[in-house]
Amino acid sequence: MTATADAPATTSPDATNEPVTNEDDPDGDGDGAATPEGTFYDRFPAEARIVRATFLGAFLAFAIGTTFGIIQTLHRTGIARPFSSVDYYTFLTAHGVFLVLSFTIFFLVGVFTWALVRSLDRPLVNTRFSWAWYGLMAVGMTLTGITILAGFTSAVDLSADVLFTFYAPLQAHPLFYGGLAVFLVGTWLAGLDWWRTYLAWRRENPDERIPLQTFMVLTTTIMWYVATSALAISVLFFLLPWSLGLIETVNPTLTRTLFWFFGHPVVYFWLMPAYLLWYTVLPSIAGGRLFSDPLARVVFVLFLLLSTPVGIHHQYLDPGIAEGFKFVSMTNTMFLLLPSLLTAFTVVASVEYGARVRGGTGLFGWLRTLPWRDPAFTGMMLAGLMFAAGGYSGMVNAGMNINYLIHNTIWVPGHFHLTVGTAVALTFMAATYWLWPQITNKPIYSKQIGLAQVVLWFAGMALMSNAMHAQGLLGAPRRTAEPEYAGFEYGTAFGGFQELNVQIAIGGTILFASAVLFLSNVVLTMGNSRTDGLAETISEPISGPEDAPLVLDNIRLWGGIAVLLVLLAYALPIVAIIQRGGLFGPGGEAFPMVLDALSILVDRAPDAIALLTDRAVDALGGGRLGGWP
Amino acid sequence: MHVHSYEKIWLALGLGLILLLIGSVTYGAVGPGVSMVAADQPTVDPTALDEDDRFAEPRVEQVGENEYEAYVVAYQFGFEPDPIVIPANSTVTFMVTSRDVTHGFEVVGTNANTMVIPGEVSTLTVETGGPTEYGVICNEYCGAAHHGMEATIEVVPQDEFESSTGGSTDSGGSTDGDGSGGDQ
Amino acid sequence: MGTTDSEQTAAGLIEDPKSFDPKGTLALILVYFCILVTMWVYIYFVEFLGNDLIVVG
Ligand code: HEM
Ligand SMILES: [Cu+2]
Ligand SMILES: [Cu+2]
Repeated sequence: MTATADAPATTSPDATNEPVTNEDDPDGDGDGAATPEGTFYDRFPAEARIVRATFLGAFLAFAIGTTFGIIQTLHRTGIARPFSSVDYYTFLTAHGVFLVLSFTIFFLVGVFTWALVRSLDRPLVNTRFSWAWYGLMAVGMTLTGITILAGFTSAVDLSADVLFTFYAPLQAHPLFYGGLAVFLVGTWLAGLDWWRTYLAWRRENPDERIPLQTFMVLTTTIMWYVATSALAISVLFFLLPWSLGLIETVNPTLTRTLFWFFGHPVVYFWLMPAYLLWYTVLPSIAGGRLFSDPLARVVFVLFLLLSTPVGIHHQYLDPGIAEGFKFVSMTNTMFLLLPSLLTAFTVVASVEYGARVRGGTGLFGWLRTLPWRDPAFTGMMLAGLMFAAGGYSGMVNAGMNINYLIHNTIWVPGHFHLTVGTAVALTFMAATYWLWPQITNKPIYSKQIGLAQVVLWFAGMALMSNAMHAQGLLGAPRRTAEPEYAGFEYGTAFGGFQELNVQIAIGGTILFASAVLFLSNVVLTMGNSRTDGLAETISEPISGPEDAPLVLDNIRLWGGIAVLLVLLAYALPIVAIIQRGGLFGPGGEAFPMVLDALSILVDRAPDAIALLTDRAVDALGGGRLGGWP
Repeated sequence: MHVHSYEKIWLALGLGLILLLIGSVTYGAVGPGVSMVAADQPTVDPTALDEDDRFAEPRVEQVGENEYEAYVVAYQFGFEPDPIVIPANSTVTFMVTSRDVTHGFEVVGTNANTMVIPGEVSTLTVETGGPTEYGVICNEYCGAAHHGMEATIEVVPQDEFESSTGGSTDSGGSTDGDGSGGDQ
Repeated sequence: MGTTDSEQTAAGLIEDPKSFDPKGTLALILVYFCILVTMWVYIYFVEFLGNDLIVVG
């Protein structure tokens, strides 16, 4: 209830921005259940503009990020190397930062703003405040982006070829860290905005259950505060002062650990808007109903509790961290499988319900009756399917000692292009086909192109990711411009290194084509004129919130337990790290990435030239297909 | 709270899966004895490696009967010594550290793989088989020429190892004579 | 929980959604489970433990 179609007669007088620029406004305002209730744009035009702005920010990042993605793909695989291998790392830094910090998080704040306002059926308390956090996020990301892109030119003394993990002692320009900090503050204020709006709603509705979408937004926000606390400490107390020359050294293990304290929960931060869409939107598109609202709440609570005390699983092969800490982290990580496994069941069951209602029969035959022509539906289903595959490689990544097999190989990008690169990104694209009309009153330019686009993404990723996994098992490293070496040859399992390169390149090309189709479709959609009658509704759960124990809604309790678990998991390792290496590390120098590149070019020019000619000969002399030595 | 019986089945299977995963990892640790890179060495000052008798002269040294230690320094953009010559059918402990930034040390196509963090010493003990050659690469981005950072490991017959230690590892050659003392 | 299965008609489901038994979902997810377990056993015991240079210390 509350969350959904039965719009309470309060037609949300939208205090902030009165003039509704469209003519239609269908609600005769007493609206009986039968009349459509209007789109989000009709009901909350001011909020709709914010959501639209966040989406556009996300798409801009997506455009740049995927362009760099194809450049990397062709470079790595040796198909085309129009840029130098030094520039490769600038592309890679930008690809990582723009896609997983900018694209995902801008889209997330849009989805969350939409979901919160929609499910509370109440405007944000103050949209000027909302524009302020949007501005901070945009300015911060722009600063960071500029320092990265400046790495392409030596004309300015800016650079940040440190990849999105910025492991010290690699050092970026202070603006890189500064921009990140500003961006982070923007996201914090966004969370504050949602909480303030929720609390205002709570005062107006003291006895109602928290609507499901709002519940998801609020728990995820708390998780974000817990997670980013460590990143803030790392950037503000260590990396930024260090890049400014205020402190001389940092402890590389400490800043790494603080990064991964943040770095694991951030993957769930990316995922939560996708889960929100799978739980609340996907069943409705399928003509079904959410199978269980209470379990959805349980799942989000589990993520809040478990997604942070696990970051050390990214450091299984780090020296300076005791094996016991690694084992504890692994155990927590494995239990984090549960909420995702539960989600798989609940979401598929919700869709199956839709199929059965449409008359679907048989053990698997019902799958045929689903609306596969709808890009929003198909996109989200394929995204979910890819996530299931990603679940497998994720299990492997989580297994402590098996990490020796795949750590820092291209297997790992193979894994996360399934998760964040597809489960999240494809869900966002699919959701755009559903959501964009709701927030703009403009119909999608072409649903056919949309359908082709989501299918292409799936196909391209299947090829690219699968081959990356296979190359990883051969030992090919990630984050490398030229994964071919002079001193050895890779094994020949899974079709062999060079053949897998071709698969990666074809997959990457298809992905890029899909990204172009998506972006063109959005741009063309923006040229459509506004119409009415686009409103979509979200159906009621089969088992509603009335079946959920009240304690689930006690977010403060869960937040408290989450903090406690994090303390238990991290206090000892961090104390141990500081005792070993000192707060500022056992010495060492900073390696500013701009000076670095120059001196190397000078220093290593003879070697590099020899190497390059060598490789060029290789590439020309039958490099491409069969010719791998 | 009402949970459908099918979902309870799934939940039980999920818990079973988790136990299988943790169980496998534990078996790997106890059965074949796989052990993690950990905090077993004190920290070092990465700018003063020449004062550390292991890393001043990176080399391979005998430390016990059929037991060897390989002291390896990773740097922008290479490994020292290179090639790393180790004897066949022996127990070799790699001790790897960095004198500049964070690197990786991956023996391609094997399980020997570790992060190399300045200030820390990563130790990996492996048992070598017959004579062979392996590639070693850095698998953590470490700067502009990261992709050129590689070395080789030569696993040579024991007798060849003894006779060759005089000359093949260029920097370590001179100290190898007293290598069999096993002082570490 | 279990009603008399195969009695689930579209009309019946709309009338009493709580009688819905997601048999298809259960079947799909059991298939997934088997794939996961098989592939895990393969990668852990064959690929990993069968690999060169097991790290024992
Ligand atoms: C056109 C689509 C895409 C292509 C062709 C592509 C290609 C690639 C390739 C080849 C790499 C590996 C580079 C290396 O390790 O040497 C990579 C890394 C990466 N990709 Fe993508 N990608 C695409 C889309 C995405 C999306 C949508 C996301 C996330 C939302 C994403 C996130 C990442 C991240 C986080 C990395 C790792 C960066 C690092 O190691 O620092 N990619 N991508
Ligand atoms: Cu993680
Ligand atoms: Cu490197």
